[in-house]
Amino acid sequence: MKKSLLIGIGNSGRQDDGLGWAFVEQVEQEACFQGDCLYRFQLNIEDAELLSQYDQVFFADAFAGELPGGFALTPCHPQPDTAFSTHLLSPACTLYLCRQLYAQAPQAWLLTMQGYRWELKEGLSAKAQANLEKALKYFRTSCRESGELASFSSSQQS
Amino acid sequence: MYPTRSSNTTNRNAMDRKIAIDPVTRVEGHGKVTLHLDEQNRVKEARFHIVEFRGFESFVKGHPYWEAPLLVQRLCGICPVSHHLAAGKAIDQIVGIDPEDLPPTATKIRRLLHYAQVFQSHATHFFYLASPDLLFGVEAPAEKRNIMEVAVANPELARKGIQMRKFGQELIQAIAGKKVHGISVTPGGVHKGLSKEERTFFLDGKAIPSVDTMIAWSLEMVRFLFDYREQHREWMDSFAAFPSNHLSLVAADGALELYDGKFRVLDATGAKAMEDAADSTYQQLFSEATETWTYLKFPYLKSLGRENGWYRVGPLARLNVCEFISTPLAERERQAFKQLSSNSPNNKTMHTHLARMIEVLHCAELMKELLLDDSLDQGELVRQGKHRNLGIGVIEAPRGTLIHHYEVDDSGMITRCNLIVSTTHNNEAMNRSVRWVAEQVLDSKPEITEGLLNQVETAVRAYDPCLSCATHALGQMPLRVSLFDAANQLVDEKIRE
Repeated sequence: MKKSLLIGIGNSGRQDDGLGWAFVEQVEQEACFQGDCLYRFQLNIEDAELLSQYDQVFFADAFAGELPGGFALTPCHPQPDTAFSTHLLSPACTLYLCRQLYAQAPQAWLLTMQGYRWELKEGLSAKAQANLEKALKYFRTSCRESGELASFSSSQQS
Repeated sequence: MYPTRSSNTTNRNAMDRKIAIDPVTRVEGHGKVTLHLDEQNRVKEARFHIVEFRGFESFVKGHPYWEAPLLVQRLCGICPVSHHLAAGKAIDQIVGIDPEDLPPTATKIRRLLHYAQVFQSHATHFFYLASPDLLFGVEAPAEKRNIMEVAVANPELARKGIQMRKFGQELIQAIAGKKVHGISVTPGGVHKGLSKEERTFFLDGKAIPSVDTMIAWSLEMVRFLFDYREQHREWMDSFAAFPSNHLSLVAADGALELYDGKFRVLDATGAKAMEDAADSTYQQLFSEATETWTYLKFPYLKSLGRENGWYRVGPLARLNVCEFISTPLAERERQAFKQLSSNSPNNKTMHTHLARMIEVLHCAELMKELLLDDSLDQGELVRQGKHRNLGIGVIEAPRGTLIHHYEVDDSGMITRCNLIVSTTHNNEAMNRSVRWVAEQVLDSKPEITEGLLNQVETAVRAYDPCLSCATHALGQMPLRVSLFDAANQLVDEKIRE
């Protein structure tokens, strides 16, 4: 079996920014994913080394824009960016560093779930909770069918 | 969400002009620089502003003292361990325990935690923040000056940087439970020791590169920087260099001391600017001046006054102030470092990078000593004495001297808190560094160029300022440079967001 990693990105103290963590939390509780689960406030440079240890990586994050259907799943490819901050990297940029530094290119997907509220408060908004449920339903089905992230096609959206 | 860069330029005849760099990049937190020029384009004024405020000193009032080490570490995601430990040293005194009375095992655990923090923080600064300037030059295109390009140009260096940071963070996690915002300190001690199995993880090199590898890599980096200085001697020796006082804790025997010691201040010639003093006397030694244009205060020695009493803290100051380093490899490099300034205090700002890496080597050696110590999971971990109403904790954090001061009522509730962080101590020095670059670089070149912007930032970066800590605020770091005429009309502006 391929070695898989699921990373939830966000902050549960900022309302819907906690979607990524809530997704991973639920997946862990249901034990529907055969792989490692991690939580991150943001991705950092050293996460490139972490990714290099996996065959497949799945990023789950909140999204502040419009997503028809409430969530989106897209393949994630290595991509550099010239951001000056080293405190947060995009998944694509982290994959880029992984490839540059460790000559590894795990298959990767980015699950984004639409959020609506971002204040300093715990708990998801009702609409974000609904989007989380939709994303989880899709994820459960896919995991049940294959048990691996490889079951996801190159681009899927609810 | 991820930064982009834009520019907005207009032209207008200018007499007096003002340039703002807002905020400074590749530093921790949010600050800006403004430069005021006269009609001849000479610098009239150069200021480094800290423009955010969060007010932790107020937040902690009314909370029980034992919460302080947990609350104040949220000041920062980079150096929370430093705040955790400084607050811990202070609240030890609230429960009647002075540093020398702490259980030996607790002292060792705290020291190991501290060395891991300094190690990973310094590595982060060098590899992630400073190395692009050094590898590609301050005049390199902005697109080049980032860790991505370091990874492309020098992947081995980048991999070592990542592994060194990881080693420190893993050790922090082993001791405090989490890499960021973990908990080790409890009033009068620590929550847990470190078992042999836990220590072996860092010694055997199986799961991660061993502490011996960390020592070897640290030494490599020190040699790299000595070589770099040889190759770029003029720039390294002169850029933003100026005489100053230097403040640091120092051990009773004069050794470099990061966790617990006495204050020592040397002037630019190496003479003592004051008698060595207990860290608990800081209120008698220092005053803090304020300015309306920044939230960051300006500490100075009362005995010398505001004009002459300012000083630097951090790696450069520490290596100037100490008489020796207790670990052999770092001491050998310190002696070589002293040769660069003919055994006088080194006032060359860019040599701070070298001093910082010598401290990395020192911390690596110290970590090894402690990881080999079988007593780390033996003996008592906590002691308590008679309740007091005052606690002052001082440590040498990665960026310099860090002071935590708490007063509590008889029920243990905090009634007063005062924090003087490393970056605050360096405020005057950073402002002078900005002025130096402005006068040396801007005077004859009024056009705003990327190279100019970065040279101002390079000077500030040498101090590794943690602006979030300094004002107890958090923020992103977009960059804006604005040029105003004498009537404060915008003449030219470049923005990074």
